[in-house]
Amino acid sequence: MSATVEAIALPLLLLTVAWLGGVRVTDRIALVPPPLFALVLGVLLLGVLVRSGAFAPDRLMNRSRTVLANANGFFVLTALFAASVQAFNLIMPETGLPHVIGNLFLLVLLLNTLAASPDRVRVLRSLLVTFGFAFVIKFIVLAALSDPSGGALKRVLLVMLEGLTLGTLTQTAFNSVTGYLAFATLALFLIALALLPSSEKFLPVDFDRRLERSRTDDRDAIDRDAGS
Amino acid sequence: MRERTVRALGLVAALAYATFIVWLYVRQPQSIAEVTGGLTATIGAYRVDQQAFDDGLRFFRRDQFAEARAALERADPAQQDPRTQFYLAYSYYRQGWGRLYQDDELFARGLERVNKAIALAPSGRLVVDDPDLQLRSADELKAELEAGLRTDISDLNPLRVFRRRK
Repeated sequence: MSATVEAIALPLLLLTVAWLGGVRVTDRIALVPPPLFALVLGVLLLGVLVRSGAFAPDRLMNRSRTVLANANGFFVLTALFAASVQAFNLIMPETGLPHVIGNLFLLVLLLNTLAASPDRVRVLRSLLVTFGFAFVIKFIVLAALSDPSGGALKRVLLVMLEGLTLGTLTQTAFNSVTGYLAFATLALFLIALALLPSSEKFLPVDFDRRLERSRTDDRDAIDRDAGS
Repeated sequence: MRERTVRALGLVAALAYATFIVWLYVRQPQSIAEVTGGLTATIGAYRVDQQAFDDGLRFFRRDQFAEARAALERADPAQQDPRTQFYLAYSYYRQGWGRLYQDDELFARGLERVNKAIALAPSGRLVVDDPDLQLRSADELKAELEAGLRTDISDLNPLRVFRRRK
């Protein structure tokens, strides 16, 4: 990983996620700090990323690096935690039954992923699906239900869910800007996760063999050119 | 050498950005004016618009409270000056005060402003030396506004009609 990515791109991306993850626009702009449970989920996500090899903290901080490089690495680690926490803060429904169910769903999902120990690519795909699904639930389905002006979707969903939720389904109605901002924030978060330094040992087993074969082919081609 | 420069610059930029984000979460500004005003106040460079402040004070003394608030808001767009916030709170108090009843909504807004003024004042102490006012400290104004918002048995006292606006 280049110094530019590690010292500039990753911290700025992750800090932007940490900032925008708390933005809620109603009739005023509020910056919402994360609930305690988001901290727990943030720790679990870091565990999942490390376990899967999607994030290798030892490549950011180790004895062979300079103090400055280690400081950059430490900052990336801290910013990653803050961004993870705020990403969960962003996708969690704010109140009521959806808040409880959403928290449990994310907790079980992360514990399950931790236990399954998938590789880097699978974890990133899984996170894309998880965050995407949570985004749809919060900013499209629940937002439609909580929209005071209502609409066809609201009436249909309300009829379907009537009586099941004991009136705890409706959420704070946000300005539509919040949804667009949330989408951009989650996209930035997933880009940042893909840019994280990964662990070599978790690359596909035959990767080294293919790389060596490719290098041998290149050398043969160069030798052939030189001979002719 | 180039890598060291990139790393050092990146670290400084990231630290500055992180500090800015923490500041935003603590201060919760609502507009760009509040952001820039808050940042300039942090380094002690914030100044109110004196002309607008004087206009506001003149309207306030003539009991033209809506006009006074418009001018005072213009004088302190970032809401960083405790004295201006104090006069804004006082305008809500005077407009909301009534011999028989108080306007709770105006009193609540006044309380919000006086709390802001107290938060902005050094050590939370704010005294305004203005002979036109009977409540010259933010603490007195706050107590008066809170008393106005409170509902208790003294609200039924018929002698209340003889009290005077401060």
